[in-house]
Amino acid sequence: MTAATDLDAVQRVVGAALASLEASRHRIDDLNVYPVPDGDTGTNLTMTVRAVADAVEESSASDRRSLARDVARGALMGARGNSGVIFSQIVRGAADVLAETTNGVDPEIAARALRGATDAAYRAVRRPVEGTMLSVIRELAEEAESRTNHGTKLGDLLIELVRRGEEAVARTPEQLAVLREAGVVDAGGAGLLELVRGVASAVSGEPVPAAPPAEEHLSVEAIHQELSRYRYCTVFLIEGEGLDREQLEDRLEELGDSLLVVGDESALKVHVHTDDPGAALSLGTAVGTIDRIEIANMHEQTHQREERLLASVPEPDLDAEQAVTGIVAVVAGDGNRRLFESLAANGPIRIVEGGQTMNPSTADLLAALRTLETAEAILLPNNSNILLAAEQAALHFDRPVEVVPSDSIPAGLAAMVAFDGTLGAGDNAEEMRDAVEAVAVGEVTIASRDVQWNGVAIRKGEWLSLADGQPVAGGTSFEDVAGAVVDRLLAQPRDVLTLLKGADEQPLDGLLDRIATAHPSLEVDVQDGGQPHYPLLLSAE
Amino acid sequence: MLSSPLGSITISSDAIAHIVGETALECYGVVGMAAKGPVRRLLGRERLTQGIQIGRNGDGGVTIDLHVVVEYGLNLAEVASTIRNRVGYEVGRLTGLPVRAVEVHIEDVRRSE
Repeated sequence: MTAATDLDAVQRVVGAALASLEASRHRIDDLNVYPVPDGDTGTNLTMTVRAVADAVEESSASDRRSLARDVARGALMGARGNSGVIFSQIVRGAADVLAETTNGVDPEIAARALRGATDAAYRAVRRPVEGTMLSVIRELAEEAESRTNHGTKLGDLLIELVRRGEEAVARTPEQLAVLREAGVVDAGGAGLLELVRGVASAVSGEPVPAAPPAEEHLSVEAIHQELSRYRYCTVFLIEGEGLDREQLEDRLEELGDSLLVVGDESALKVHVHTDDPGAALSLGTAVGTIDRIEIANMHEQTHQREERLLASVPEPDLDAEQAVTGIVAVVAGDGNRRLFESLAANGPIRIVEGGQTMNPSTADLLAALRTLETAEAILLPNNSNILLAAEQAALHFDRPVEVVPSDSIPAGLAAMVAFDGTLGAGDNAEEMRDAVEAVAVGEVTIASRDVQWNGVAIRKGEWLSLADGQPVAGGTSFEDVAGAVVDRLLAQPRDVLTLLKGADEQPLDGLLDRIATAHPSLEVDVQDGGQPHYPLLLSAE
Repeated sequence: MLSSPLGSITISSDAIAHIVGETALECYGVVGMAAKGPVRRLLGRERLTQGIQIGRNGDGGVTIDLHVVVEYGLNLAEVASTIRNRVGYEVGRLTGLPVRAVEVHIEDVRRSE
């Protein structure tokens, strides 16, 4: 193929894609709730594709490779907004593949171009979000790859891609909660679909089923679900010359919140929550002409939404907000005490000082239980030596009480995460026991005598580590002994490793380095526990 | 601090930094956070808030500085603008605190493979 036919073909395809997108531009603007609900995705994407069309128009490329470079560069330079940036990366990925081809584009090359586009698009973000342009382009690549061996014609393939794209776009609310809540599909994905639709009709020469009708009008305001301090959500466009975004932002900031001003010197889109929309509009008319003004009374919307919700939900039980169940926990260390207190959700907690060598009596525990004002109680002994006393105390307590047999501080913390004071003791105990069982606990301490224990030989005064009560390693190097128990805890895949530093705290840098290298995706949480006797306690969930 | 008839609510800078970190890593173009000052790359939690500084104004407003690494070959101005909008929006939405400024510093560009 000659460079001239390439250029002609690309011009025709880009022109068709642009026309298709422009027809749906406002509909796509109105879909935009993610990443920021500023209602400009259709406009941004259109401006980006227009920049590509201009680049193709001006291109003097003499071969396919330089044409591909011009197209990718046009997309990069012209990218507007988040969707435009993603689109520019999609174009680059596809152009890189097409640059290396020599013949006409067949389904096999189209599939490779879409794969290149997908890889390039995913590569540029640390945490790809599904239910966006990313998942739509990926599904298009998968569809194309599944159809390369069937003697399909390119035009037919593109029509199948439109169909698959529609499915992928329709699925985006299932993948991204913010879309589901607002009752919309992803705007960027919808824009990408319109581009493919334009290309498909240009290549196949057949009319491709039209876009969803524009009458499904959804305004930006529809997505404002939380109460704002201000009454009116105000959105408008300012067109002018040499518009100063920052200056405008400063002035608008004085009027309200949720401020967003996006655009360039010639056009700015303003979104602000304010009690005085007139003042906001005046700021716009002072610097340019304003257009596409939308003002919505959010309090009215919120009110209507609440009415709807109340109609569908049974009357809330007013007593449910009050604590039913309180907790008594045996804890050693000031840091641990604070952790337990901070985790007591919706219910009171009483801490009884104690632990390995300082076992509170049954009377101590009973006295603590009696200070609770709740109808029911949970008792967390947090040590196997205290379990018996806890069960005795429960027997003597005259209100319903459940003992959750946590045998360590980390296990007790895991149980605390599951606690909810608005629920009864029985329900809580069930959840908390499950949490205790799900957590793997490690301890690092100093051996108090020479022992030979399950094949591990440890001398008095040396470090000793245990996993779920069983010895793992002994030795003179804290880091090695602690590292061995970490390895044991992480032998199964875990998401979070919590480290509680004891009163005799040891330097952890070396250990944390080891963990970060061996388990880069593990979340590690270090807390000052302050417990005696155990310089380090660990739990893995 | 937010006041309500039932009492006041305080939101720590660390909590805000976590929101910023979670949000930034989902912003298109961001391939990592840049370490600033003493390298605190040891901890999962700290890795998330690495390269993020939160400032509090006397009036309760929040200023956010974040240092990011962006994929090579993207329109940096647009990527920065999206980060700025999205971080400001999410912090405002999730904390209710007024966000006075979001300063995005692109510390490096990286070519991922």
